[in-house]
Amino acid sequence: METSRRPGTGTKTGDATGGKAEAFINLTKVTKSFTASQETFSALKEISLGIGKGQLLALTGKSGSGKTTLLNIIAGIDRPTQGLVTVAGVSLDSLKEGPLAVWRGRNIGVVFQFFQLLPTLTVLENIMLPMDFCNTFPKKERKPIAFSLLEKVGIPEQAGKLPSALSGGQQQRAAIARALANDPPVIVADEPTGNLDSRTAEAIFELFTRLADTGKTVVVVTHEKEFSRYFKNTVTISDGTIADKTGESLL
Amino acid sequence: MSPRFIKVFRDLTTDKVKSIMLTLAIAIGVFGLGTILGAYAVLTREMARNYMGTQPASATIKVEDGCIDQNLLEGVRKMPGILQAERHATVLSRMKIGNDWYPMLLFVIDDFRDIKTNRITKVSGAWPPPAGTMLVERTALTVMKSGEGKEVVVKTPHGEQKAVPISGIVHDPGLAPAWQEQTGYGYITLSTLQWLGEQQGFDELRVRMADAGNSVGAIEEKSKAVADWIEGRGHFVHEVQVPPPGRHPHQGQMNAILSLFTAFSFMTLILSAILVTSSISTLMTKQIREIGIMKTIGADSFQISGLYLLMVFAFSVLAVVTAVPLSQFLAKIFVYKMAKILNLTVFDASIPFWVFVMQVLSGILIPLSAAAVPVLRGGRITVREALDNYGVTKNSFGKGRLETILARLNVFGETFTLSLRNVFRQRSRLVMTLGLLAAGGAMFMTALNVSKAWDVNLQKIYKQRLYDLEVRLSRPVYTDEIMAKIRQIPGIKEVEAWGYSPTSFIKDAHYEISHTYPDKGHGSFSIVALPPHTKLVKLPVLEGRWLKTDNANEVVINRMALSQSPNLKVGDVVSLSLDGHPFECKIVGVAEDIFSPSTAYVSADTYTKLSDTKGLSNMLSISMNSRDRETVLPMVRKINELIEKEKAPVSATIPMFLIRNAVSEHMGVLVGTLLVMAFLMAAVGMIGLMSTMSTNVLERTRELGVMRAIGATPKRVILLVVTEGLIIGVFSLVFAFAGSLALSAPLGKLIGNMAFRTPLPLAISLLAFFVWVVIIVIGSVAATLYPAWRAGRMTTHEALSYY
Repeated sequence: METSRRPGTGTKTGDATGGKAEAFINLTKVTKSFTASQETFSALKEISLGIGKGQLLALTGKSGSGKTTLLNIIAGIDRPTQGLVTVAGVSLDSLKEGPLAVWRGRNIGVVFQFFQLLPTLTVLENIMLPMDFCNTFPKKERKPIAFSLLEKVGIPEQAGKLPSALSGGQQQRAAIARALANDPPVIVADEPTGNLDSRTAEAIFELFTRLADTGKTVVVVTHEKEFSRYFKNTVTISDGTIADKTGESLL
Repeated sequence: MSPRFIKVFRDLTTDKVKSIMLTLAIAIGVFGLGTILGAYAVLTREMARNYMGTQPASATIKVEDGCIDQNLLEGVRKMPGILQAERHATVLSRMKIGNDWYPMLLFVIDDFRDIKTNRITKVSGAWPPPAGTMLVERTALTVMKSGEGKEVVVKTPHGEQKAVPISGIVHDPGLAPAWQEQTGYGYITLSTLQWLGEQQGFDELRVRMADAGNSVGAIEEKSKAVADWIEGRGHFVHEVQVPPPGRHPHQGQMNAILSLFTAFSFMTLILSAILVTSSISTLMTKQIREIGIMKTIGADSFQISGLYLLMVFAFSVLAVVTAVPLSQFLAKIFVYKMAKILNLTVFDASIPFWVFVMQVLSGILIPLSAAAVPVLRGGRITVREALDNYGVTKNSFGKGRLETILARLNVFGETFTLSLRNVFRQRSRLVMTLGLLAAGGAMFMTALNVSKAWDVNLQKIYKQRLYDLEVRLSRPVYTDEIMAKIRQIPGIKEVEAWGYSPTSFIKDAHYEISHTYPDKGHGSFSIVALPPHTKLVKLPVLEGRWLKTDNANEVVINRMALSQSPNLKVGDVVSLSLDGHPFECKIVGVAEDIFSPSTAYVSADTYTKLSDTKGLSNMLSISMNSRDRETVLPMVRKINELIEKEKAPVSATIPMFLIRNAVSEHMGVLVGTLLVMAFLMAAVGMIGLMSTMSTNVLERTRELGVMRAIGATPKRVILLVVTEGLIIGVFSLVFAFAGSLALSAPLGKLIGNMAFRTPLPLAISLLAFFVWVVIIVIGSVAATLYPAWRAGRMTTHEALSYY
């Protein structure tokens, strides 16, 4: 008898809807410091930010401003030195590394600049891997789900190929499909088009828009201003602080 | 199949060379262990089966000649606890091979149709041997340079030389191989012995005991009871021989050698495990970003660790599957080879199941345990640490003191300097590679050092025993005249009359109990009487002092004799037997006496007084001006002719070079197998180097791309990588040499003591070092060529886009 868990579950600590409490992702006075060569450097300084469910948010800023660090903290990849992070009502501080990994697998879909598909797995297998690790969906359902995700991102014909046989754009679409594998409520993407030509990049941003339209919260780190039209919400980070924000972002 | 298992499988097959190397390393360990353990198990079993199959006598009681009649035999058989009793005789004789005389043991068997103890098996020819013929042990044919149907000239101590036809071949598993002892083994009837000119009858009573088990004490007790009973009937008992029960004469040697090899094969497996640790550490480093990605998409530490442990498990299973059948095959070859050397018949070569279980368990558990640390460490890494990892390209080379020194160093051109610096970039990997290579090299050099130490000991035999020929007489005779005539032979340097007699420590009986085997060599103990100021023996005294010239009852024993009663010490008074009579003497010294059986040296005065043989002698020691075999052989011929003419009752003439040959034969097997083990270890070392170099190249792919971009030719890149491998190889030489120095002395002590109670001295074989240098240079270049060629073949674009 196969046991499998449904995706998108976690320990909820509060209401995720309405007003300030409506913020699906909530950062309160988040500081992140790094120590290198006996010197402490603050990448983020007391950042407070709320992101609503179904929003498509751009994190922009110069290189080294702290936007990737902020994204990593939202995804539970990194932990803040100080401050509180709740995502989908779950306080990330309360989770240890192991449970955090499982929580992330089910609740956060991560898209990297360099796609980061596992080179020895086919595209379809790459997409099935998060389901395997998080034991989401019964085994028999995983393949059709993965295939439907590939259809969703527009590359079903690439299912049986190894990542190296795909173009950059196709790899990024596959990476997005993998991020969606466990049907997470949040998608985070770090410079997802930084390695793609502008036509492909357009297609990727359109894909993110459609995902946000289906209720996913999408946070994208980008410094490509020409695609700003896709984002109703933009937060600009400068020297570890929020320099500017536009749209419906909650504070 | 689940995607994670697909990943494991694909990762295994993607880097085929690495996977093959890792599998090979584990396989070598499992193979070595399986071969040695398998051979150990079969040989131990078959040796016991062979030896016990001969129904070996529990004891041999030497009695006065001709007293063993049917009545006495029946009487002994009826004694409680006695299973069998049989009469026997062993005559030390000589055989003529070409123009030279060699020692030969003639075993006189009462009834070939019903041998009750120490049975021999017919191989071919007649059974029993017709009168005037003999059967010959199969291993003696090479020594005798003869065969079935041919004749061998034999001379017994009191008879004329006679051509004796070989009427059949037999196998006697209870004897050490004849070629090892450099002695002929013949089996004859009493009538043939008489035909050969010996008047003696049966003088040995061999008894098998029922419930004496393996206890020497119990056998000795029962033997004493039998001896007492015989003496009670008015017959004189000379000696009771109780060889170690159930143990072949070479059992101790074989066990020692095989235990040693088992230890080495475990070491090879440990080396493989080190290589696994090193390779898995590298793999974890290489896969760290993939680990980060997998953790990002939901994998926890256990899942990650499980994934890589599964990979190691797969390597191990593959290695076990490859190594087990191969090792079983080779173990059987080894068994047959050793069986030939030990003169055993292999009735059943099947390797016991426990060997297979040991191989599987060690082949899987050791690599898994070795991999556990790097795998668990890699599995625990946080996502950010994993994603931020850039491998060696971002390491902190240049900050340490060593790097600072290296940075200042610029020797043998840019390529060498760069290679030298690269060597020190991944120090833990360097340490492991050096460890692997050094262990292989240390073992290789140790094997040859031990062999050389053996040679040094052999040379010591010549330095300690300054005679070149030993002439043993069957009874004490006046030798002054014959000695004078020998001295007149040109080339003779010195002739001395010595005394010789079997002996043993007498504890609580009035006759001696020795541990001599039926071949009269293994386990034997003799008294040797030396003239005052002897010029023909110079034994180093390890404790106490050498003999004085007075006739005080003083004795110097050698190490082998000391091993019979290890509690003895200088100053102790012991009771020894001489011609069946006990006498008390004081141990004044313990001497080194290489490759000599147990011997107690006494002064000639003491000996003649105790044996009542004033002016008589039963042994001549002769030294010659030149000691090489070619000079000694014709001299031995001349001496033999003279002795023949003088009608001296010679029982054996033993040239020193024969002893030396026997020693070499004992050692050859040992060194050969040690070398095989060393080569296995060296192979693991080379695989380690190859693995390290391919990882180094892989990690520096971008760096090599940069070099190519700024003008380095593919040839230059190859040279850079090969030089790096060569530097590591050369560095390993230092550690290998140091390791061999550390290993050689204890190993020589162990082997020497276990085999012959003589620790081997520390000897350094320069040849071994130079051969290893050549192996390392060729091996390093060969091990590095493939990764170097791969690095050189990569285009600049490929290299730069690698991350």
